[in-house]
Amino acid sequence: MLDVAGLEAVLDGGSGVGPVDLRLAPGEQVLVLGPSGAGKSTLLRCLHGAVPHAVPARVSGRVAVVGRSVAEHGVAALADVVGVLAQDPETGVCLADVEDEVAFPLENLGTPPAAIGPAVAAALGAAGAGHLAGRRTDALSGGELQRVALAAAVVTRPRLLLLDEPTSMLDADGVAAVRDALTAARASTGAACVLVEHRLDALAGDAGVAGLPGRWVVLSADGRVTHDGPAAEVARDAGPELLARGCWLPEDVELAVAFGGAAGEPGTFDLLPALAAGAPPSRDPAAGRGEVLLAARGLAVGRRPVGRSARRRPAAEPVLRHVDLRLRAGEVVAVVGANGSGKSTLVATLAGVLPPLAGVVEGARPGLVVQNPEHQLAGRTVAAEVAVGLPPGPATDDRVAAALARFGLAALADRDPHRLSGGEQRRLSLAAMLVHDRPVLLADEPTFGLDRHGTATVLRALAGEARAGRAVLLTCHDLRAVASVADRVLVVADGGLVADVDPLGLLREPRLLAAARLRPSRLLRRLAAVVGDAGRLRDALAALDACALLAAGAPDPAGARDPAGAPDPAGAPDPAGAPDPAGVPVR
Amino acid sequence: MTALGARNPTVKLLLVVAVSLATLALLDPAALAALYLLGLAAARWGAGVGGRRLLLAQVPFWTFGVGVLLVNAMSRPGAVLVAGGPFRVTHEGLVVGAALALRGCVIGVATVAFLASTPPRDLMVSLVRHARLSPRYAYALLAGHRMLAGLPRQWATIRAAQQVRAPLGRDGRPHEGWRGLARSAFALLVASIRASERVALALESRGLSSGPRTVWRPVPLGAADAALAAGVLGVLALVVLAAARL
Repeated sequence: MLDVAGLEAVLDGGSGVGPVDLRLAPGEQVLVLGPSGAGKSTLLRCLHGAVPHAVPARVSGRVAVVGRSVAEHGVAALADVVGVLAQDPETGVCLADVEDEVAFPLENLGTPPAAIGPAVAAALGAAGAGHLAGRRTDALSGGELQRVALAAAVVTRPRLLLLDEPTSMLDADGVAAVRDALTAARASTGAACVLVEHRLDALAGDAGVAGLPGRWVVLSADGRVTHDGPAAEVARDAGPELLARGCWLPEDVELAVAFGGAAGEPGTFDLLPALAAGAPPSRDPAAGRGEVLLAARGLAVGRRPVGRSARRRPAAEPVLRHVDLRLRAGEVVAVVGANGSGKSTLVATLAGVLPPLAGVVEGARPGLVVQNPEHQLAGRTVAAEVAVGLPPGPATDDRVAAALARFGLAALADRDPHRLSGGEQRRLSLAAMLVHDRPVLLADEPTFGLDRHGTATVLRALAGEARAGRAVLLTCHDLRAVASVADRVLVVADGGLVADVDPLGLLREPRLLAAARLRPSRLLRRLAAVVGDAGRLRDALAALDACALLAAGAPDPAGARDPAGAPDPAGAPDPAGAPDPAGVPVR
Repeated sequence: MTALGARNPTVKLLLVVAVSLATLALLDPAALAALYLLGLAAARWGAGVGGRRLLLAQVPFWTFGVGVLLVNAMSRPGAVLVAGGPFRVTHEGLVVGAALALRGCVIGVATVAFLASTPPRDLMVSLVRHARLSPRYAYALLAGHRMLAGLPRQWATIRAAQQVRAPLGRDGRPHEGWRGLARSAFALLVASIRASERVALALESRGLSSGPRTVWRPVPLGAADAALAAGVLGVLALVVLAAARL
C-alpha cells in the first residue's frame, strides 16, 4: 500500500529526515512520534509529494503509494489515493462554502456530478460535520473548520490518510470533536493512516494508548527511525527517551515512565495519591497578598468591527462587560474560557492596545506577549528584536545581552527571528518583553504549540517573574499548565467574568468547567480528588514532572536554561536513582 | 435571488465590456445620461443594490466626473460661455467634459451592478466552464479572495501586538510613526506568504490541476441569458443610433 525505502530528505534550510524505511498494509494505522524538529511533518510531506514537488528539498530513496512512485507523480496526481489533513484550520479550508469545499476534490477527479452530492453528505457525516452543510466557512470555529477539512480529505475515499498534527491548534472542545471525527472517519473509510501529533496527551484523551493508532514509529532528533512496532511495546521502550526529549505523551505512558511499569496497566493512576501526599511543598502559599499593580473597574471590552460594517455600525458590541479585577504583585492569574469568549480581547484591553468600551484600567503600563510570537517581531536579528523600543546605547546592549543569556538565546543573537523554531520564538518574545521591566506581564496563550520542555520553560519564567514581584496574567487552554502555575483562575463565560477561584476550585466545579469548555484529564481529576488545596495540587504536578523526567534520565530541562537563572546543580541524574514506584520522589 | 443575480456571470461580464465599449463611441451627454439612468435602474432593481449603498458606490465616480468636467470646461477652446479673470468656460469644453464624466459614471454603475449580483464562486465556475479559464487560476483566485477577507482582522491583531513596545505619545497612547506601520506591514506580509503557501498546498493535495474536471453545481447558461444579452445590446444599439441621428 505504502512503500518507503531508504527515504532521505534535506530541506533548503538544512533540516530534514531519514533514512526512513516504512511499509504499510492496507488499513494499517501508524503514529509517528519524535521530538520537535525531528522531521515528522517533513516525513509526512514526503509521503504525498509535497516534498519535493511544492517544498524544495533534496530527496533520495523511494516512496510509492499503491504502486505509484511519488517522485514521478505530483501532489495533485496522487489526490485520488491520498487524503491530507494539515494542522492550521484557517488555511486547510480554501473555499467560501462548506459543501463546495468538500465537493472540490471530487470535481477535480472528474467525478460525475450526480454522484457528488451524496458523497459530500456522506463525508460530512463521517467527519461529524453534517450540520455544517450550507454554512459559510468564514463563520466557523477552528474545530469546525478542521472537521470540514477532514471531510474534504476523506470524500475521495483515499487509500492513505495523512494527518499532520490535526488537533494542535484547537481548544479542548475542538480536540474532542476532531478526535471523535478522526476515529469515525478512519473506521468508515478503511484507509491506512499516518498520524503525526505532538499533543498526544490531549489527542489520546482518557483512552490513553488505546485511543491512538496501534503501531508507533519513533524518529530521533536527527530524523532517523529508532523504534517501529506495536504501541505498547514502543511506549515501554521509547517512552523514557521521548519524555526526556520533551514529547507530550499520553498520560498513561507518562505515568508508566514515572512509576516504572507498562502503559495501560490497571492501577497506574492509583499511585497518584501517594505521589501527591509525598510531594515536597514549594512556593509560599501567601503569594498574591502584594500591592495592587493593575486594576480594572466596570470594564467592557470588545473589538470594533473591521471593514465595511464599521461605517454602518460604529459602536462595538462588548464581548465582556462589568469586568472588575485586580492583579497583585507576586501572583500568577490565569484566565480561562471557551474560544471566542473574549479572553484575548480582555488581555489586549488591559495592555492598553485596545481602548475599553466602558470602565477604566488603572496602573502602570503592562507588558504583553501575544499568542503568535511572529506578530510581535520587529527586529531583523534576535538581538535587534530584544532591543526594539529601548534607547540605543551601551546600557541597552548590556541589558539585551543579559536577556538573551537568561533565555538561552545568546547563540542565536544574529539569526533572523522569523527562522527560529516555535519554542525559540516564544522565548524570544518573552525576553523582548521582559527587558522593558514593566511591573505587570500579560501573556496570551504563552504555551500554545510548545513541546513539554518549552512549556515548562515558559511556565517557570512566568512563575519567576511573579516571585520577583511582578503581577502575571495569562490566558491558557491547558488545564495542567494552569494548575501548575496559577494562584488564581478567572473564568470568562456568557459575556462576563463568572468566577475567581483557585485552580483546585475550578477542577472541582463541573459547572465552571462546562462554562469554560474545559475537560480536565484523568490525571487532573484524580489529583483533584486527593489533594487538600491548590498549593498541594501544584506540588503534586511538580513532583510528577520531576519524577517522570528523573525516571526518563533527562537533565531537568529548565535547569539548563532556567529563565530564573538558577543553574541545575545535579546535571544529568543517574537513571538508576529512579524512584521506586510505590515510593515518593525525594528532591 | 435578484433578476440579475440569476443570470450567467460570463454573460454579464461580457455585457459590462460591451457597455464600456459603446460609451467610447458616444460623445453625446444626453445619450450617456440616458445610459447612466438605465444603469442606475439596473443596479437598483435588477441587482437589488439598496438606495444608500448605491449612492455611496457612486461617490468615487462622481468625484472623478466633477474633476474631468472642470478640467475640460476650462481648458478646451471654443465658444466662451462665462469668463472671469484667467478662467474661461467654453461650450465645447462643457459638452465634452460632461460626456467624459458620464462615461466614467456609466462604466462605474455597470460594474457595481455586476459585482453586486455576482458571487465570486459563480463567476469563477462560469468563467472556467464558459470562457475556458484555467481552473488553476480560478480556484487560486477564489482561495485568495477568502484570505483577503481575513486581512483586516489580522492587520488589527498585528498592529496591537506591535504597539506594546512602542513609546507612548503625549496623549498616553502608543505612538510609532511610519516605521511602526512598515514593521506591521512586513509582519503581515510574512504571515500572508506563509498562509498562501499552505493554501496552495491544500488546493493541490485536493487534486487541483489544469486537467479536465467536472462541476457539481454548475452555473446555468440558458435562454434567459440570451434574452438579457439581446435586451441590453438592443438598448445600446438604439441609444447609439439615436445619438448618431441627432
